[in-house]
Amino acid sequence: MNSQTRVYFPYVSPFDPCPPIRVKTYQVPPQLFIGFQPENLPQFSPMEALKRGTLWPALYSPYNPAASRGERGDHHER
Amino acid sequence: MESGGIIMSVNPHTRPGDEQYVELLTQLQAIDFVLVELNLYLDTHPHDANAIEQFNELTQRRWKLANDFEALYGPLMNFGHSYSGYPWQWNDTPWPWQV
Repeated sequence: MNSQTRVYFPYVSPFDPCPPIRVKTYQVPPQLFIGFQPENLPQFSPMEALKRGTLWPALYSPYNPAASRGERGDHHER
Repeated sequence: MESGGIIMSVNPHTRPGDEQYVELLTQLQAIDFVLVELNLYLDTHPHDANAIEQFNELTQRRWKLANDFEALYGPLMNFGHSYSGYPWQWNDTPWPWQV
């Protein structure tokens, strides 16, 4: 897991009718930790920038939909 | 034909929407995106001389690329922002949403 992904462990109710999701993750955007953007940051090439949606690697945030992060409920023992 | 995102030379024998058309449009799109990024950056960093220099260089490249493209494939914009050959080229396909 990269540093932009944070984890939390939700409460699981014994009465939850659905399979519980024990670990949840969320993304924090990198600009939160930069403050005022410094000058002369390294840059992507124009093609790379277009693909990633930002000119600066320091501001790149990968998009990880929840499904691909493996957030699925456990199977209940019945 | 392409090296580090810079057009070396263009092929003057074209068909509408051919490979070079897509290639040139993609490069134009990439340069335009960098220009948007630098524009927004410079709004908050008006004294970054390096960024301004890069912005102006890219603007020049964008202008040349767009002119080359229009000479080969017809106008990118209408209402007097691009030239047209004869007959009137603005309504020639492919249109942007068809590419």
